[in-house]
Amino acid sequence: MRYIIVGGSAAAISAVESIRSLDHESSIDLFSDEETPLFSRVLLPYYIAEELSKPLLNFRTADFFEENKVTPHMGVKVTSLNTAAKTIRTTDGQTYAFDKLLLATGGKAIIPPIPGIDKEGISTLKTMADAERIFNMKGKRAVVIGAGSIGVEACISLTRRGIKATLLEQLGQVMPTVFDAEAAEIVQKRIEDLGIDVLTGEKALKFTGDKRVTGVVTDNRELPCDMVLLSVGVRPQTELAIQAGLQIGELKGVRVDETMMTSAKDVYAAGDVAETHDIARNAWFLNAIWPCAFEQGHFAGLNMAGRKSAYPGSYRRNSIGNFIGIPAISMGVTHAESCAMASDEDEFREIRVRTKDTYKKLVLRNGKIIGAILVGQTQKAGLMSILLKKQVNIADSIPLLMSDRLNFMDLLPILRRNADQFSEPEYKELMDTGL
Amino acid sequence: MKVLMVDKEKCTGCHQCELWCGTEIASTSKELAGAINEEPHPVPRVYVEGKPFALQCRHCESAPCLDACPNGTMRRDPETGLIYVNEQTCIACWMCVMVCPFGIINPSSSMKVAIKCDRCRNMGYPICAEVCPTGALSLVERKDYRKKKF
Repeated sequence: MRYIIVGGSAAAISAVESIRSLDHESSIDLFSDEETPLFSRVLLPYYIAEELSKPLLNFRTADFFEENKVTPHMGVKVTSLNTAAKTIRTTDGQTYAFDKLLLATGGKAIIPPIPGIDKEGISTLKTMADAERIFNMKGKRAVVIGAGSIGVEACISLTRRGIKATLLEQLGQVMPTVFDAEAAEIVQKRIEDLGIDVLTGEKALKFTGDKRVTGVVTDNRELPCDMVLLSVGVRPQTELAIQAGLQIGELKGVRVDETMMTSAKDVYAAGDVAETHDIARNAWFLNAIWPCAFEQGHFAGLNMAGRKSAYPGSYRRNSIGNFIGIPAISMGVTHAESCAMASDEDEFREIRVRTKDTYKKLVLRNGKIIGAILVGQTQKAGLMSILLKKQVNIADSIPLLMSDRLNFMDLLPILRRNADQFSEPEYKELMDTGL
Repeated sequence: MKVLMVDKEKCTGCHQCELWCGTEIASTSKELAGAINEEPHPVPRVYVEGKPFALQCRHCESAPCLDACPNGTMRRDPETGLIYVNEQTCIACWMCVMVCPFGIINPSSSMKVAIKCDRCRNMGYPICAEVCPTGALSLVERKDYRKKKF
């Protein structure tokens, strides 16, 4: 068997580990158009904050390829994929044949069509090269455009380095795909407390300056600055998939089946490039987040190595970590309305509890969790996550789920009612206690 | 692999395991009187909540925390199968907290690192099982639920 992996981040590395758990001998060739292997994109804000040096950005040790008998081709771009002949061509002029291929090309940062976007001092934050560029910019005032997870984290990181930063978001709240208005208000206050100006409902119209950027003109004002960070989202990197004629979904990701296989036999896709079934939305969706990429890579790898394994589906999960001084976690959908493919029979419910320092919200569809937001008190967030993933009815346990005394052992009756869904030994052995 | 199991007939919910885990494993003073007064508070890795049952990390076969950790801080010991936090590299992103189905990974009191049970992998025997006054906790081989019953 000859395996080819296109991509070198979470999905790719996870797939390598899964393949190697079943197949120790076959060749694995890994191609990445980035020069730096094994670094974690999630950590780039920590790099620009000067909190982590380059070696500490790695999520696997430097000997990973050697240990796993992988031939890495770093800085080599795959230019074409022939699914019939089962070959790829690369920028180093070679042709490689494969039996199974994984497309883990990830996403690329969206560059909004704003006049003046090509000025010096303007950068996205997606690749190691981006991070280095931002790190070396030596700016004093920054404008971060887009208040999603990366935007917020990058903005705080710049502030930690002594750069005066403004966060600009065209929608009416920060982290609009992560939090509802109430949670966003708490988060925004925290961001402002760090000395960051937050402007929501305000759009960047153009950049000023000759060579280097000197300001951002919005619909309300001009913000003087000497650096701009663009974080308005990512799009699946599908050039290779399109060239190969793979089926592309409505959201422009590569469609995969339960085994993570694309429309072409023996060609798999995983990670930010893949459009998968979203459990919470009950629809095809792009969940360009680390845990999904890792899980999908895992399932792709198992299936590629011959062990049929059905991917249960994706769902969004975000944690803001230590950036704003309090933990905040969100998963699934933030509002009942954001649920596609709802039928008239679907019954939605939102339950909220707000105290001075905490906020907790559950979004239910037909008694099953499809979304959760936890701010301040996040210790049992994983319980919401597993109940969302398994889509079990929790309608009779809402007081427990919303209370501070929530714990796993009290959920055992729910697990027992849905024993076929919780077939893993770690659940069975606890159900067996009879508690 | 081996797992910690609790005999529900013997567990009285006395929290001794929590107390000793917090003292012996989590505290710097390693003595009860000192541990109680430590700031930030030591965080025990075992939880007696809801039921008289001591719950620790189950070291899942397919562990969500391993998939969610963005920099390889969460690791599995290939020999024992035990999952542990490599505290030096933890960046406190709480992705593991977000996905742990048992809710047993928590931030340290200082909010600097994720804290979870590694079943005292560097000691001879798990402290919680050792100190349990009724002997309710024991280390047993995980049952193979996939085995066909004849």
